[in-house]
Amino acid sequence: MTDNTPKLPKDERVAVYICHCGGNISDAVKVEELEELARRIPGVSVVRRNTFMCSDPGQQLIIDDLKAGNADRVVVCACAPHLHETTFRGAVARGGLNPYMYEHANIREQVSWVHHGPGATAKAAKLVQAAVAKAGNLRALEPIRMEARRHATVVGGGIAGMKAALDLARRGIDVTLVEKSPFLGGNLARLDRLFPTEDKAADLLASLYAQVTASRRITVLTCAEVVAHSGYVGHFDLTVRRAAPTTTEDLELIARFEKAGSPLGTFVPFVGFAPVLPATAEETIAVATGAVVLAVGFRHYVPRQGEYGYGDNPEVVTLTQLIEALAGEQPGGQLMVNGRAIRTMALIRCVGSRHIPGVDEEDENGNLNQHCSRVCCTASLQAEREIKQRFPETVIYDFYRDIRAYGRGHEEYYCGASRDGVLFIRFEPTGRPVVARSPAGSDNPLTVTVADKLLADRELEVPVDLVVLANGMVPGDTAKLVELTKIPTGADRFLLEVHPKLRPVEVKEAGILLAGTCQAPMDTTEACAAAAAAAVKAAAVLSRGYVELDPFVARIDPELCKGTGACIEECPQEGCMSLVDGKATVNPALCTGCGMCVAVCPEGAIEVNGWTLRQYEAMVDAIVAAPVEA
Amino acid sequence: MTAADAPKILILATEDCAYPGANSVGQAHLTYPENTFLLRVREPAMFPEKFYLDCFDKGIAGIIVMSCGVECPYEGAYNALAARINRVYQTMKARGLDIRRLRLTAICTVCNRAFLKEVQQMVDLMNELGAPGSEVKATSPAA
Repeated sequence: MTDNTPKLPKDERVAVYICHCGGNISDAVKVEELEELARRIPGVSVVRRNTFMCSDPGQQLIIDDLKAGNADRVVVCACAPHLHETTFRGAVARGGLNPYMYEHANIREQVSWVHHGPGATAKAAKLVQAAVAKAGNLRALEPIRMEARRHATVVGGGIAGMKAALDLARRGIDVTLVEKSPFLGGNLARLDRLFPTEDKAADLLASLYAQVTASRRITVLTCAEVVAHSGYVGHFDLTVRRAAPTTTEDLELIARFEKAGSPLGTFVPFVGFAPVLPATAEETIAVATGAVVLAVGFRHYVPRQGEYGYGDNPEVVTLTQLIEALAGEQPGGQLMVNGRAIRTMALIRCVGSRHIPGVDEEDENGNLNQHCSRVCCTASLQAEREIKQRFPETVIYDFYRDIRAYGRGHEEYYCGASRDGVLFIRFEPTGRPVVARSPAGSDNPLTVTVADKLLADRELEVPVDLVVLANGMVPGDTAKLVELTKIPTGADRFLLEVHPKLRPVEVKEAGILLAGTCQAPMDTTEACAAAAAAAVKAAAVLSRGYVELDPFVARIDPELCKGTGACIEECPQEGCMSLVDGKATVNPALCTGCGMCVAVCPEGAIEVNGWTLRQYEAMVDAIVAAPVEA
Repeated sequence: MTAADAPKILILATEDCAYPGANSVGQAHLTYPENTFLLRVREPAMFPEKFYLDCFDKGIAGIIVMSCGVECPYEGAYNALAARINRVYQTMKARGLDIRRLRLTAICTVCNRAFLKEVQQMVDLMNELGAPGSEVKATSPAA
């Protein structure tokens, strides 16, 4: 093996900062030992530790060192870089140094959270060594400033989409609101009263709808879908296709709308608002925009055929179906569902949520819904209370694994349902209730059998007239959108934000934001809060009139370039690279920084700023070098 | 064998797909061997053939290129990468290096099981093959 001891360019001084991340890092990595090891890496001038480097005191350490002239480049050893790269670049800039003179070592997700033995510290030291080696090869870069369009596109016309569109318009941003169905209102239009305020969903939507349609800044496109996407923050080019509705769900909604006979622009319960008639012909619309807010919502889980008797028995319905039944006419003093009088009912929770691998059956795509849908607990309690208040003679059995009435005012629903006489029966996830038809001659059509966990697993047989399945929330049909935008999804298949606490509505691609239940199960309050946050984030970027892009584009060394043209042949971006006076040149506005040109240049004359081949070679040298000794 | 002595495996992980995929392994608090070193890359199509061969010369025992596969956000990059890896294989064969030391795969942002499988397979293989070049010695007439 050759002597690969990494050597930094002369006189360069690297400051290394080690984050404990509370105990997330320091519980597995011996940070004091790591500090000592880092001090011995050639070129390191300063090493400091902090409980949370992302905190103000942590960032101040960087600023103070740079202002004192202790270092001219920075390595932060902390969590995954996408979480805090922006934070630390900001601190480096406030310390007076070019923000790109910074490198990150991921010693949490890729060390302390995956290596739990004594080798964790040595592995962390290697990553620090590699990061220092890269830092030694950094160069100052300037962001690319581009004009930003003062226009945003909101995809999805439910409550979150309308709220985001309105908030953007109020901040002076023109908005195109793109809704796939012929109706605005989304899933909220298919609810009645909203917990915990008991507002009518229709009233809330009507208020928003009136403001959205009155705003001269908002253009609404229904029956419309984004089918192509290109560009970058400040300069996205979208292709929107409007077409006649064809899905079964849309056609059913249109039929209900027509049956209601209401004029355009009025609310039709469990349908929504139709601002215009559904499209009848196909058209393609180009939308030049600066930011995209995704508010594409969720789907209600639909139980499989036979799941708790669903589909096999007309007396088994979902919670969403019960809510609609309750909102309809209920003459007399008895609850009626699907034309049947209900004296005794069962409600089964966590249907389509909190699946357990090995216990629950995967769907046709191999997916389980391991997430908690969060809102169905309180929604179930709300429905039970309403039934008890309107039809007090109804006997309600509530079969639950857990009850998660988590939000402000939600617990009152549980207390109220208990006071009202709802009978709660707890079951184990491995001992789900079984729904079967009752024996002939029984007074009730169905019997629910379950082992009651709180009665030492005593088996109960509960005859009922109705079984309500508290169905959860599952991701909407985002596959096309994900393919277009390349934004990640989480293990739960909902769209994934950069950081749940620190950047909760942003995705990795700048200028694309998340609003509402496309991101996770949320109630209306939370969806509106997320929509407001997304609108503010988008407006903050677009209101400046310009955006700054990372300068990670190809750079030619004219001294080395011999004008072979290999890079031009390889570059997939038309017009990005050209030969001028026998030398290759790059148009930074068109370069995506893929680096394909780097690999084919016979002279090694091309680098991608911030991701150079020399930096990678230095990191490999550091990885194969002998470990730093304490 | 301590982690320091174990054959070193380099993982080139794309920042859009495989690197977040590796992070998801950490977020799930799963585990994999310590002799694996992940470098975040924008797109591995930037590495010329020489880079891989130099890595083996320097003592890297195995390389896993974790790309975005067909999900690659850079047009044409995945095909260029696959073609390049094929050319590296030809040179590796000519040098007597076991081509299994270099593996091209695709890992998505939530592919934590696939990530673990790829890593473990390479770790097992490297434990079997040993340091790069050892297979050349083993097959040479003088050995």
